[in-house]
Amino acid sequence: MSIFFFKRQLSTIAAGKGLVIPKEWLVTNKNPVTPAKDVRPADQTFLTFPEWFLVFSPEEQANYFKQHTATTFPYMRHTSQIWKSYRIVNKQIKGNFPTNWGYHFMIWVIGVSTTVEYTAKSLYENIVGRLTDTGQPATAEDQFNAKYTQDYVAFIKDLPWYQFDFKSRLKDLWKNTSLSGPHFFRKWERRYMLTTELAVKFIYGKLIGIGTKQVYEVALLNTAVVLDDDSLHYLPRYDKFAAAALELAQQGHSFKEIAGNNSAILLTVWVPADHKTDFANAQTVFIQPITSYPTMKRVAIATPVSALSGVLLELKKAGVQVEHVFDF
Amino acid sequence: MTFKDKLPVSYLLFTTRGRINRLTYWVAALFIWSTFYVLYNLLNAAFTPAATFIIYPLLFWALFATAAKRLHDTNKSAWWLACLLVPVAGPLWLVWLLGFRKGTIYPNRFGTVPGAAADYYKNDTGALIPHLKTEERLINDVTQLNPVLVAQIVVPQTVEELQQMVRTATRPLSVGGGRFSMGGQTASPQSIHIDMRALNKVLAFSAEQKTITVQAGARWCDIQHYIDPHGLSIKIMQTYANFTVGGALSVNCHGRYIGLGPLILSVRSLNVLLANGDIIQVSPTEKSEIFYACVGCYNAIAIIVNVTLDLEDNIAVKRQQVKMKGHAYKPYFFENVRENKDVIFHNGDIYPPFYKNIRAVSWVRTDEKPTEKTRLMPLAAAYPLERYFMGAFSKNHFGKWRREFIIDPLLYKFKKVHYRNYEAGYDVMELEPASRRQSTYVLQEYFVPVQKFDAFLALMSEIFIRHNVNVINVSIRHAKADSGSLLAWAREEVFAFVVYYKQNTDDAEKGRVAVWTRELIDAALSLDGAYYLPYQPHATSEQFHRAYPRAKELFTLKKELDPTGKFRNVIWDTYYK
Ligand SMILES: Cc1cc2nc3c(=O)[nH]c(=O)nc-3n(C[C@H](O)[C@H](O)[C@H](O)COP(=O)(O)OP(=O)(O)OC[C@H]3O[C@@H](n4cnc5c(N)ncnc54)[C@H](O)[C@@H]3O)c2cc1C
Repeated sequence: MSIFFFKRQLSTIAAGKGLVIPKEWLVTNKNPVTPAKDVRPADQTFLTFPEWFLVFSPEEQANYFKQHTATTFPYMRHTSQIWKSYRIVNKQIKGNFPTNWGYHFMIWVIGVSTTVEYTAKSLYENIVGRLTDTGQPATAEDQFNAKYTQDYVAFIKDLPWYQFDFKSRLKDLWKNTSLSGPHFFRKWERRYMLTTELAVKFIYGKLIGIGTKQVYEVALLNTAVVLDDDSLHYLPRYDKFAAAALELAQQGHSFKEIAGNNSAILLTVWVPADHKTDFANAQTVFIQPITSYPTMKRVAIATPVSALSGVLLELKKAGVQVEHVFDF
Repeated sequence: MTFKDKLPVSYLLFTTRGRINRLTYWVAALFIWSTFYVLYNLLNAAFTPAATFIIYPLLFWALFATAAKRLHDTNKSAWWLACLLVPVAGPLWLVWLLGFRKGTIYPNRFGTVPGAAADYYKNDTGALIPHLKTEERLINDVTQLNPVLVAQIVVPQTVEELQQMVRTATRPLSVGGGRFSMGGQTASPQSIHIDMRALNKVLAFSAEQKTITVQAGARWCDIQHYIDPHGLSIKIMQTYANFTVGGALSVNCHGRYIGLGPLILSVRSLNVLLANGDIIQVSPTEKSEIFYACVGCYNAIAIIVNVTLDLEDNIAVKRQQVKMKGHAYKPYFFENVRENKDVIFHNGDIYPPFYKNIRAVSWVRTDEKPTEKTRLMPLAAAYPLERYFMGAFSKNHFGKWRREFIIDPLLYKFKKVHYRNYEAGYDVMELEPASRRQSTYVLQEYFVPVQKFDAFLALMSEIFIRHNVNVINVSIRHAKADSGSLLAWAREEVFAFVVYYKQNTDDAEKGRVAVWTRELIDAALSLDGAYYLPYQPHATSEQFHRAYPRAKELFTLKKELDPTGKFRNVIWDTYYK
């Protein structure tokens, strides 16, 4: 599966045309209680989705690579999912919040570079990789790839991708991965491919690291929340936020502000492919089939900050896995 | 026909031979990948994904072949593709090399420059008539208007062979060089046609003396290639370099040079083969009566075997031009061009269909850097632009108007600095139409004493307009007086009018052309002028003798030296009694 196959199945399905979230959920908080330094723009919950997709995608790859080689991974469907989801979330925030130019620019940069990477991989795998493919990860190099992708995903959940140590992985590939073994051609072809990938990412990561320092301030690593009792708390940002928020909800709290916002917050959940995707107190925004895990699908839903704890408890009760809460 | 001509696309995609430029490479890549894409999807849809594997060998081979050709263009062998094995840097470097790096501008060890012809345009070696059992062949010239059936064609490889042939010949002989003359000057019915082109060696060369001795079958372009590295240039030749030295000598050609004139002025000596088989050396001081019966005399009494010619420095020249009224040209020429030592080439172009305006173009000695990358004229395999312009100019009055008022002014806007060799290195190919079946382009030329310029211009224009002749261009040249050729066309200092026109190939048209040609000849004769002999022999016998009053002396000499009339061609068949 690749650029060459056009399966009719859509990569991303919007819940409706244009704006699907109630307009009253999309109002900027005029007088936040949260200290100004901890306040983040309200539309960032949506704009962080495409960015986080670049975590979900390697995560899917890491899972996929346990059973398969990289050669058959559907890179082009993932590329399409980046741009389609970006379009859909954009329709939700457009006109409701001031345009966050810096964030859009960042999405374009990472979107384009990922598109280039995935397109190149797709072409390469279909023209060269295919010729040596073993189906399952049979060589030390294919297994190296699976391990490296897994580690990479774990890393980028907390830290920017460009800080990942590609260089030591490259050394590792040439020093600690056996040069002998069956599937001679596959081994060397993968070695070539992995060397290229790691070297390019090493150089590109260095450049992006420099650029980011010039353009963006260092990201905060926590999220300020104001609870119903007006108390201020600091929760871990990004990946660990969902678990921390659930814990507060289970203690009976609800949220007044998250990062200074009381408007809609976006979260994604995984449900079985045949799920009806209607959730109480929340609006479904779009659905993405999980191409490497066909029995499940990802649903992006939005709910006002004040209703988040109720929604989290409800999902927990229904046994639905929360993938991510986009804490602005 | 070679594989390349028969299956050009397969040749391009599946052989590693030769060179391709960047554009061809990109187009080929686009073609390869889009074909692959379509086939891949078709096979995948019709059969299974595994079925697509059968097109991979084709894909890789085509990619390899086109990449190898592109590498050749940059003078690198296909082994450089091994760079692909170096991760990152290798592929990037190859992308630059294959997709963006310019090819070498000269022929290299892998072939000629893409889109360039390997050689100057040549006429065929005589056409075979299907099913004919004899050795008879059709000899034709570049216009394709004058087919002559000859008994046999021979291509002597050595002078001895040629000598033997002349001694033992039982039939009349006709001699051909490049066969660019346009009226059967190289053939006679049932003669043995001698193709001189294999006798093309350089026999002696002195850079200090600035002389070269070559066999008569050598072409100007061959000599240019030989002397260019020494910074030398041919002193007198035509604008086109396709012609042989022997053919050029026999017509006593001229170029666009200023201060010079007929080719005879640059000839030191000749070796000529007489009808009795003897080879003798002749020059203006040695057996001069034979010398003057050879240069300009169309193989009347001898075959020219080799020649020693003067050379000049191959300097850079810059183009200058000015447009003026017809009557202003002669004074302009006398004031600015005639005595100007810096003017190397000069010609005036008279614009049809009204013949009122002239563009005077001079190429002047300069220290500026040449505007062309190559020292010698690069040869193109096709001249689509030239062909289009020629077609457009010859179509109607509007085409001629466009030329005079739009295209030429644009073309002359560009600065041009060429080497002398470059500017005398044109390929006749640039004039070749797609087909000469229905219509053909033909040359004529008239000479008048310089003081009669205005008078001839008026007579000529009137004839062209009255006969509605489709003239494409009339080019004015200048020549000093001849030194004594018996068929000298410049008995004194003359202006030459080179007429390039288009005519149909049917008999009615040929007749019409004969009528106005004779009128033009009369016009030139009325001014003590002459017409040029390498073109169609429309002139009457009387006109011939008026234009060439010393022809009788030549005839007398021919009776003496070639009593059986061994050497023949249209001129002797027509005018020699
Ligand atoms: C496009 C074009 C442009 C031209 N421009 C000019 C120009 O600018 N100035 C100019 O003066 N002329 C010009 N001509 C005319 C040209 O110079 C003559 O046609 C010339 O003869 C061509 O040389 P060739 O080698 O093709 O001779 P051929 O046509 O092969 O032969 C011409 C004559 O020379 C005789 N001959 C050839 N070789 C020998 C030999 N070795 N010994 C004895 N006789 C021989 C032949 O028998 C024949 O009679 C032009 C012609 C063309 C087609």
